[in-house]
Amino acid sequence: MKKVVLIVALIALMSVSTVSLFANGGKDTGDAKSTVTFWLADYEGIDHDFVGEIAAAFEAKYPEYEMDLVIVDWNALHDKLTTALASGTPPDASVIGTRWLLELMDLDAVVAPGDYVSQSTFDNIAPGAMEAKIDGTLMGIPFAAGSRFMAMNKSLASEAPATMEELRELAIEASKGGDYGLIMPGAKHSELSDFVYYFYAAGGEFFDANGKCIVNSPEGVKALEFMLQLALEDKVVQDGFMAQDRKESHPIFMGGKAAYVMIGAWADTEYGKMNADWDIEYMQIPPFAGNDPAPLIVTDSIALYSDGDNLEGIGKFIDFMYQDEWKAPLDKGMGFPPVTISAAKRPEFQTPMYAAMAEANLNAKGWPLVTGWVESASIIIDANQKALLGQMSAKEALDWAAAEVDKVRAE
Amino acid sequence: MENAIGIPKKRRLGGEATLAYALLAPAVLLMLLFMAYPIIYVFVVSLFKTNKLARIQEFDGFRIYGKLLADKENWKVIGRSLLWVITGVTTKTLFGIIIAVVLNTKYRGQKIARLLFVIPWASSIPISVMLWRWVYHTEFGLLNHTLKSLGISANPPVWLGQPISAFLSCMWVDIWIGIPFMALVFLAAMQSVPRTLYEAADIDGATRSQKFRYVTLPGITAILLIATLLSSLWTFNDFNTVYILTKGGPAGTTNILITYVYQNSFEWLKWQKASALSMFTFVILSIVSFLYSRVYFKREAM
Repeated sequence: MKKVVLIVALIALMSVSTVSLFANGGKDTGDAKSTVTFWLADYEGIDHDFVGEIAAAFEAKYPEYEMDLVIVDWNALHDKLTTALASGTPPDASVIGTRWLLELMDLDAVVAPGDYVSQSTFDNIAPGAMEAKIDGTLMGIPFAAGSRFMAMNKSLASEAPATMEELRELAIEASKGGDYGLIMPGAKHSELSDFVYYFYAAGGEFFDANGKCIVNSPEGVKALEFMLQLALEDKVVQDGFMAQDRKESHPIFMGGKAAYVMIGAWADTEYGKMNADWDIEYMQIPPFAGNDPAPLIVTDSIALYSDGDNLEGIGKFIDFMYQDEWKAPLDKGMGFPPVTISAAKRPEFQTPMYAAMAEANLNAKGWPLVTGWVESASIIIDANQKALLGQMSAKEALDWAAAEVDKVRAE
Repeated sequence: MENAIGIPKKRRLGGEATLAYALLAPAVLLMLLFMAYPIIYVFVVSLFKTNKLARIQEFDGFRIYGKLLADKENWKVIGRSLLWVITGVTTKTLFGIIIAVVLNTKYRGQKIARLLFVIPWASSIPISVMLWRWVYHTEFGLLNHTLKSLGISANPPVWLGQPISAFLSCMWVDIWIGIPFMALVFLAAMQSVPRTLYEAADIDGATRSQKFRYVTLPGITAILLIATLLSSLWTFNDFNTVYILTKGGPAGTTNILITYVYQNSFEWLKWQKASALSMFTFVILSIVSFLYSRVYFKREAM
């Protein structure tokens, strides 16, 4: 009898402790504050300490909230978000590439921010930045928008190329002294750069009106063949480019070892950090001869998640963060021109880099807003790599990519 | 019913056995909850079309398995995974034994040497791998800088940029991280071999290599089997090394099953395919474990 009592007592003890473990979820339940969770992408140039200051200032103003502000690497953000959504535990809001929005809407994962963020915040956002307006409803709050442009090391080169063909000649000339003519990241990054710069410069489009992938168009083949020529024949790009993504290859330019780089808003911040003994100049990414300029414009948005626990709180946080006092220094660190009207007028945004970006905005083209883009982009990067590794010709690689992308989108 | 020596078997469980089963029950229940349930669920998901949040939508039968069996890329990844495990585990075992023998010999500084060998194992794996990523960097990396400085190669390889060198570079990092564990386990096993056996071998006039072959090796075989089994399972599932170094690139040429599963699930949201690939992994690892345990228990029974 004693043994039976002992067994029952043991099992009961274990059950109770297990149940209480799950019930508490490992959290202290005695705290009256409600947690607001926001995932911020780790932009190159972002000041992590300043991000911490924003969270602390928000908590000081709204003591009823505890701010959980997490900085997530861009390369991991999509995957981390997917995992969180699949497990039903997304943050209240996060920064996203606007190109992900259709996919998120398809899953009913996002809510329109209009119900939670104040109208005065929206009124202060430049109308041109409202790319995430789907069927008349704004589904993502513009967070960053910036066109890509080109930077030149003035100690290694002196001319702004008017065409891609000229860029090639100038890069060859610059590389004669033992430095690199041009930076070309060859490893996979979170986006499809640098192929897209050449592709848009040749007048390429990823999809036709029916949604069929046409990356293997003559423009696409011309762009990829041009990259092959620069990298494999002219050898003007950095050594080991195939193993370097954007984050690893741009420091080579900032270290003063390359003449040109196609870059984005983080250029000034990164250049500033280097205390470089050479001057930098910003210019437009040139088109191929006979084409119009068409630089890439990248927009990022903030999405609010339907499964978020604290949408009221995150609305208040976004209103708070979008004040000039916080958003302008954040933009400055990231290097993006402000999406807010009031911050854009501040003197720190009237520099040559912002002037180059403003000029690029006039002709800029965004990523295609289609479902399945993440996998499609990955396939096109693989196609680029197959061609650069000599496994396929440019035409074969892009034919393969177009067929694979169509297959993926058909699924 | 009687057993071989004629003692009748008890049909009912005794008090001690009941207590043992009762004490085991919570652990078994937790195992079922945390191991059997996910495996069954993953199998179920592989039989259904899902939405992008892995929610089951419509029954699809075994279609995805047929598709994967016909997919060349899938077989390439499986073949690469097997090569990864066989080469990795063999190298780790060989180096592990050699290092264990060295560490088992008495000399000045032996304790420091043991401590140094533990460092790669004791360090955080992602941090170690990130460190190696910079070591391999073509422009700023220590490896190419050394090769150039010593005049060994004016144009060192782009370690992570070419399919073969990228695969070998990943494999080396996995081996570098895994060797200390093997060495320590073998060292512990060697120290448990009775000294009397070596003394007897000395009296018989055995050479060092004969002592290793006829005393040490048989003495550590059981541990060797367990260690290589564990190493095979860990190496097969070594996501960190490949993902951090190459993300499976260039052009998917360093993908092993575990990174391919990740890519299909968390990057591309193809949960059905990822689940089916996970079942492939489960079957392969189950076969390996089954074969190992057969050999192990056969030895124990002898």
